[in-house]
Amino acid sequence: MKAPAHGLRKCSQLFNRRKIINQRLTRKFVGIFFALLVGGLMIAIFAVLIFSPQPANSNALTPDIAHLIRMSLIQAALSTAISLIVGIALAWSLNRLRFWGRSIIISLLATAIVAPGLVIALGLISVWGRAGWIADFADLFAFNWPGGIFGLFGIVLAHTVLNGAFAAHLLLARLSAIPAQKLKLAQSLVLAPWQRFAILDWPAISSALPSLASIIFLLTFTSFPIVLLLGGGPSNQTLEVAIYSAVRLDFDLKTAAMLALVQLGICVAIILPTLGSTQNFSNSGNTSSHHWPDRGIVKFIQIAILIIAIFGFTSPLLAVLQKGLGPEFFETITRPSFIKAAQNSLILGTISAAITLFVAIRIAMTMAITRSKIAKAVFVTPIFAYLVMPSVVLSLGFFIGSRNLGISNAVAAPMVLIIANVLLALPFVYAMIAPAIKSIHSRYDKQARALNLSGFKRWQLVERPLLGREIGLALALTFSFSLGDLGVISLFGTAEFSTLPWQMFRAMGAYRNNDAATIAAIMLLISMAVFLILPSLFNRSVKIAEN
Amino acid sequence: MLKIENLKFSHPGQKTPLIYNLVLHPGKTGNFNGPSGCGKSTLLDLIAGFLQPTSGKIMLDGKDIVGLEPEQRPVSILFQSDNLFDHLSVRKNLQLGLAKNPDTKVSTIQNVLEQVGLTEFIDRPASSLSGGQKQRIALARTLLANQSILLLDEPYSSLDKINADKMRQLVEQLTIENNWHTLIVSHLAEDEKQAKSLP
Repeated sequence: MKAPAHGLRKCSQLFNRRKIINQRLTRKFVGIFFALLVGGLMIAIFAVLIFSPQPANSNALTPDIAHLIRMSLIQAALSTAISLIVGIALAWSLNRLRFWGRSIIISLLATAIVAPGLVIALGLISVWGRAGWIADFADLFAFNWPGGIFGLFGIVLAHTVLNGAFAAHLLLARLSAIPAQKLKLAQSLVLAPWQRFAILDWPAISSALPSLASIIFLLTFTSFPIVLLLGGGPSNQTLEVAIYSAVRLDFDLKTAAMLALVQLGICVAIILPTLGSTQNFSNSGNTSSHHWPDRGIVKFIQIAILIIAIFGFTSPLLAVLQKGLGPEFFETITRPSFIKAAQNSLILGTISAAITLFVAIRIAMTMAITRSKIAKAVFVTPIFAYLVMPSVVLSLGFFIGSRNLGISNAVAAPMVLIIANVLLALPFVYAMIAPAIKSIHSRYDKQARALNLSGFKRWQLVERPLLGREIGLALALTFSFSLGDLGVISLFGTAEFSTLPWQMFRAMGAYRNNDAATIAAIMLLISMAVFLILPSLFNRSVKIAEN
Repeated sequence: MLKIENLKFSHPGQKTPLIYNLVLHPGKTGNFNGPSGCGKSTLLDLIAGFLQPTSGKIMLDGKDIVGLEPEQRPVSILFQSDNLFDHLSVRKNLQLGLAKNPDTKVSTIQNVLEQVGLTEFIDRPASSLSGGQKQRIALARTLLANQSILLLDEPYSSLDKINADKMRQLVEQLTIENNWHTLIVSHLAEDEKQAKSLP
């Protein structure tokens, strides 16, 4: 009697094992598929750029590549250094100080990374420009404010607002993750503030700096709308803006392709040494439960840093809202062109967010079950493709490709925008999702397999509830990135097919400053609302699942 | 003498406050046993000044130390693990103990290392030491700081039996020699045996 039962059990075990192997193969296949898709796309764009023929009607002058490289490097190096210094100082102050509204300030810092560059640039002009807040304030004391926001100062300031806040948010998470026990130990040993910084804070911060610096450097090196708006002339032009000018203004595709290759080469040289450490971003750990404030002069310095930083970061945003929510607000938002652009932006943002999340999760799941280091490198490299191929370069490839294939802009534009938005957000979303998926896998994979949970059922019961916060943040991040992107639409945008950033850029070009301010205010409000609502919405679903 | 009188504390959301009463004579080791969540570590945090009680007194030789900042209290503290900064050398870790006792000479470092039997480790990075060695170095640092109260939070839980016994003996010996008031929070039966004077 025992033999058939034993046989059945063995048969069932074999079936289950085969099922598990199949599931794992399917997971790997999906991951490989996406990695190859993204990688293939990159290679295709690269090929298009290399083999692009010289157009007959080119009328551009040969650009001074050495100057473009020098200018791109100088502004990026300055922006990175100042952003990191500001980020460290602000994170240090926020770590030590406790006050009403602290959590709101920290949330605002998190949203800075997704605040559209175009909006920040407009906000800075409204604060630091000749007719801005500072000039008004200087007038009270009969002082003539020169309003030198255009040029290197403006570019670096705008990049510091965006990336300094980003750095502060990440570094604060590092400081908050210092174990309470270490803090208590240091406090009982009466470490001086400088000793505390050197022994406790610096090791926590410094391990994040190389990857953080390389990301900020790449973001600023390839920055487009800020340099375009605040550059103030050819002397401050960077490679990214020169590519845009070559295509959009001169229609010189050969030069654009050559500049794109130069930019690619520099970006690859920067990204390769730090590719492995990029994931460190999300290892923020738990917030320390012990608070140890500094006292005396050190506390005074921290309060001063906080006040200056809050003014620096929030004033451009407040200026945009003040200017944008004026009397012309309703007139602007009821225009058919605005409604159409807003619809396009919202639809493209939603689709991009969903696709990015899906792709990031699938690749992260593949990575979680992959042991080979070579295979891991193959899967993860395409994720960081955007970092070496910025949006203007990417859209240039698509632009030339669609022209060669005879596809009209109107057809190609939405697809290109979605693909570019996905690639743009993928490194950030992956860095957010992958560590969580890896930890869920190592903790629950055996249990899930023992319970025969697989496919959609496993996703519903295990991964989705535990990934709630990350899913919300990832969706918000991708949506906001997509909403504010000017790089791709700058080549594909027309009067017929437009998005909010393109509308805003056109309004500024036509000196319709009130229209531009209204669109900027709406983009800012949507970004902030999405960033505040989506994570808490998904967090709530996690709590319900836990209960 | 360390005397804790009606020391009350409530964690957020806790309805019934924790109330502590305790007397500990110099040169004696007290042990506080109990299940998880009964407030053992909270007592150490209150004595060290990391938490503020709602009422009550912590009297050391007749003086109430409740109003003092953690940095001003005559307290050394040792945890279950992570008592050293792994990226610093043993020497630098020990030197940190001098801040609370500026009269101690730097040359004393060698003496305290002799007392814990680890002289040859002085220039090694803390990360290269075993769990037991780390605990003994941390104990050597409390010797340098030489504070009246020594608090130990599950100090032997991460050690094997041989190392835990060595550490136990060392703590008892140093407590007697230096007239410390040593309070151990632990769930191990061996520590309870060591306790002598807790009422």
